[in-house]
Amino acid sequence: MGLLQRLATLLPLANHWLHRFHGGVSPQYNKSLSASQPLRTTLMPSQLVLPLQQPVGLPAEPIVQVGERVKKNQLLAQAGKDPRKALIVPIHAPTSGTIEAIMPMTLPHPSGLEDLCIVLKPDGLDEAIDNALQVDGSAPQTPQALKDILLQAGIIGMGGAGFPTYAKIPSEAGKIHTLLVNGAECEPFITCDDLLMQTHADEIVRGALITAHALGAKRILCGIETNKPAAINAMRHAAKQLQHDNLKVEIKEVATVYPMGAQKQLTFELTGVEMPSKAHAVDLGMLMMNVATYAAIYRAVTLGEPLTSRIVTVSGLGLEKPFNMPVMIGTPFVELAEAAKPKVALDYPLVMGGPMMGFQVQNNQVPVLKTTNCILANPPEPAEMQMPCIRCGACMDACPVNLLPQQMYWHAQAHEFDKVEKLNVFDCIECGCCSYVCPSHIPLVQYYRHAKSEIKTIKAEQQATELAKQRHEFKLARIEREKEEREARLKAKKEAVKQEVAAASSAATDAAKPAKSAAAAAAAARAAAARKAKSAATQAESPAIPPARLKAIEAAKAASARAAKQTAEKSPEKTQQAGAEDTTLDAKAAARKAAQLAAQKRAQAKVSGNIEISDNKESANTPDSKPDPKAAAKAAAMKAAAQRREKTQQAGSSQTAEASTSPKTEAIDLTGSSEATPASEKEAARKAAMAAAREAAKARAAAKKQPVSEALSAAEPGASSSEVAPDPAEAARLKREKAMQAAKARAAQKRQAADNSNAASDASSQESSS
Amino acid sequence: MTALSSPYAHNNQSVRKVMLQVQLAALPALLAHIYLFGYGIVIQWMLAVTTAIVVEYVMLTLRGRPVLPFMTDMSALITVTGLVFCIPPEAPWWIVVSGSAFALIFGKHLYGGLGYNPFNPAMLGYAFLLISFPVPMTQWTMPGEVVGYTLDFMHSAQVIFMGHFDGNSLDMITGATPLNELRTGLSQGVMVPDTLRAHDSQLPWGLNSWAWINIAFILGGLYMILNGTISWQYPLGFLGALSAMALLFHAIDPAVYPPLSFVLLSGGTMLAAFFIITDPVTASTTPRGKLIYAAGIGVLVYVIRSWGAFPDGIAFAILLMNIAVPLIDQYTQPRVFGHSR
Repeated sequence: MGLLQRLATLLPLANHWLHRFHGGVSPQYNKSLSASQPLRTTLMPSQLVLPLQQPVGLPAEPIVQVGERVKKNQLLAQAGKDPRKALIVPIHAPTSGTIEAIMPMTLPHPSGLEDLCIVLKPDGLDEAIDNALQVDGSAPQTPQALKDILLQAGIIGMGGAGFPTYAKIPSEAGKIHTLLVNGAECEPFITCDDLLMQTHADEIVRGALITAHALGAKRILCGIETNKPAAINAMRHAAKQLQHDNLKVEIKEVATVYPMGAQKQLTFELTGVEMPSKAHAVDLGMLMMNVATYAAIYRAVTLGEPLTSRIVTVSGLGLEKPFNMPVMIGTPFVELAEAAKPKVALDYPLVMGGPMMGFQVQNNQVPVLKTTNCILANPPEPAEMQMPCIRCGACMDACPVNLLPQQMYWHAQAHEFDKVEKLNVFDCIECGCCSYVCPSHIPLVQYYRHAKSEIKTIKAEQQATELAKQRHEFKLARIEREKEEREARLKAKKEAVKQEVAAASSAATDAAKPAKSAAAAAAAARAAAARKAKSAATQAESPAIPPARLKAIEAAKAASARAAKQTAEKSPEKTQQAGAEDTTLDAKAAARKAAQLAAQKRAQAKVSGNIEISDNKESANTPDSKPDPKAAAKAAAMKAAAQRREKTQQAGSSQTAEASTSPKTEAIDLTGSSEATPASEKEAARKAAMAAAREAAKARAAAKKQPVSEALSAAEPGASSSEVAPDPAEAARLKREKAMQAAKARAAQKRQAADNSNAASDASSQESSS
Repeated sequence: MTALSSPYAHNNQSVRKVMLQVQLAALPALLAHIYLFGYGIVIQWMLAVTTAIVVEYVMLTLRGRPVLPFMTDMSALITVTGLVFCIPPEAPWWIVVSGSAFALIFGKHLYGGLGYNPFNPAMLGYAFLLISFPVPMTQWTMPGEVVGYTLDFMHSAQVIFMGHFDGNSLDMITGATPLNELRTGLSQGVMVPDTLRAHDSQLPWGLNSWAWINIAFILGGLYMILNGTISWQYPLGFLGALSAMALLFHAIDPAVYPPLSFVLLSGGTMLAAFFIITDPVTASTTPRGKLIYAAGIGVLVYVIRSWGAFPDGIAFAILLMNIAVPLIDQYTQPRVFGHSR
């Protein structure tokens, strides 16, 4: 390594051979600006601004009043809800003083976001509550015990992302086998971790040992860049002093290359494990935290101190005396920058973080957060004009994730976001290496940020569109269903009317000639079936129903008249045969119609099922006891047919008809109930009323027919048809079942059964072809 | 005004600096050219640069682009420099003017300017000249070692602008390049070893003037590789493929196919390897793609030289591989960190 390092100083190309991951850059580090200065004593700011909102999670709820006096380490805000769900982090007072206000203030956020903050006016006494977390100082034995302390202490990842540490740690012991300590600190200018390692190495090592002990980790690896020799020495020393017989912190030097401190890159460097794209380190049994986080863990666990201060680097080319300082959380940026003696007035925005990944704050009054590692004051420089991409590939050579930045830029510029996503833009860690090396000065990272947010927006929109589409389809299905129900009601009414007509006609003719009435009824039913088929084919033409009904009634009358004529001419036997045949045909037609309707129903159920799966399942498991109006109508039709047969035959055939009706009714019930959605529930009452009305009508019709059938049974016209009738009914039933199965299979295939009429026509065509 | 978002740091590299690095790396070859062939190339270069300035200004104005930033990106300078090395030093002035103008207008600006051209502009200009004016393009000034003297600046200018100097016609000082002689010899039944033996050089190591120009290009190329201006994949792929072809066919029939040293140090081999195919705009950009692209050019150059209609094939080989670049880029994407292939 020594030889390679020497070579690398001569030859920039050799830099790549010093580390494992691809790419990386070696920017102007400027670390000595602040690292050469000793740690300064904490500055007592004029006010402290403590945002309730942390970088990750929901805001905490304040538990103090304006005007209240608080002591250092006193709890100011905590989670109202279950913190484990919303990642809420409690907030403690960094010093003693008075709560001045709880009001929205600008936060250190790229957008200049404003949010509720507790404003604390320090009284300068710095009165503290000792052991505010009330710990006994012993090392937690289980991850849960550690997590509880970390939650109370309000510790979050201090390296940058600020993810609550208690949420990062797994609850089961032994899940983490390797604990990683990130002391790389690869960003230029920043030296707070360097200084922390130099001055508080024992705290870091103890914190790591406590964590490893609680989690049952076997190994602790600490990576420190070679440009921090003092920190490496201090850490090595502390690690040696504090090593247990079975657990010690291994200090590893890693090459000085940006972005060595990125989690995946440092993990790869230390362990050789390349973290899969979508995986978390925890899933691989590894947990990486920043050195400052470990120090905070130590202080919380053994001293009961919540996280209320951190070391911050105040540096930059615009400052005369850059420094590192343990800073109270909430200290305004500008007070710290002023303490470093700016060369020119700070009329330019300060940067939170380093020059590679930091961001300009909208207002220099913003407070220091738990994640603020650096306040950078670099006076603005004239930016080079952005030139066209010359495809030089420097960005690709610099990318630590091995992406193709140049091609992603090309597609992002053309708004071809699907292609950008295909080039794995979501693996981009936004380290800025590509922009740093771009000779055309293209702000590449900005393009990727934009592309990422655009892709997310597009996806959210797609989801919303899909949902709206499903809703619309469901609505269409509901309208369709309502129409069908309306038609079924009409049909039931018509049936009743027909029965009356038939009864009247049969009553008018000789009671000794029952075949005629049977023929008439059959004809009427046939006409009805024809009309039904027609209305099914032209479902949209609902206004056309009344004329159709009139027509049908007329047709039925004509048919009955014709039948009467026929009976007069031909023998009763023959007529009866014809009647029986008619019945068969009618049964077939009814079966087809039923299959059709069932298919439609299922298709609708599919659509609604897409939306309300759980409902569907529940209701499917507990079949609705309420009779579906259509089913009722069907039953009525079947009953009518049966009654017709009854007229001519004995009770046996009617039973068959009844038996053949019941499975269908059940099937329809099932599908009907499967669409029992909130939308249709309000119809239930109406349906019940309708059903009652229909029952009454049927009863009336039956009462009217009663004398006729009595006369029929007395006459006993001939047994021949009684053998004929059941068989076609049976055949029709089989056929219907077959059709239903076919329809079911089809409906299953068509997940998005969008077009109900299509499905219905399919079903009917299948029926006719089979 | 500074960048809107991070990073706020930059390595201070710029397109102009990259282009100037290339220009600097071409200096050894330029000096060697002057020493071996006289001042013709300087006049040609100045003509080309003047043409470039005029064409750039006119085209940028016509296209409504900011003139100054794009004229000072120096990309046109590199284009015409590449072209000038391909033109005979004493070729008539309108050759280089029309070639440079064609290269910049049709090779670059009509496609949308810097970064948007699919074809290498210098090679497009060179191909245009080869097809349009084949005769002046093959009349190379003979090097000093052959005719005993090189023309001075004024004489060169006379030849370039008037076609003769002091009453001497152009034919007296021009001849065929070694590549051309080889081809002519083969067509007349003279075998390759005999042609080569007939032109033994007095220069060190027995290398002729064209070979020394190529060596000068290697020097510049190595400089560019070391300071990161060009990727090593281009020369490696190109020279590797060309060498493989040369070794293979020379082994099969030494009488017809010249030896490796001749193939590598004749014509525009090293110019192409380090200065032309490394133009990133028109080359493949993925690491493996660069190798494939360069190797494709190497094979094509050998094919055109050995069996094609032109003595040197770099222009057509490069233009052909330019067409294949999008395809190569598509299928040579590197494995992203954390992804399985």
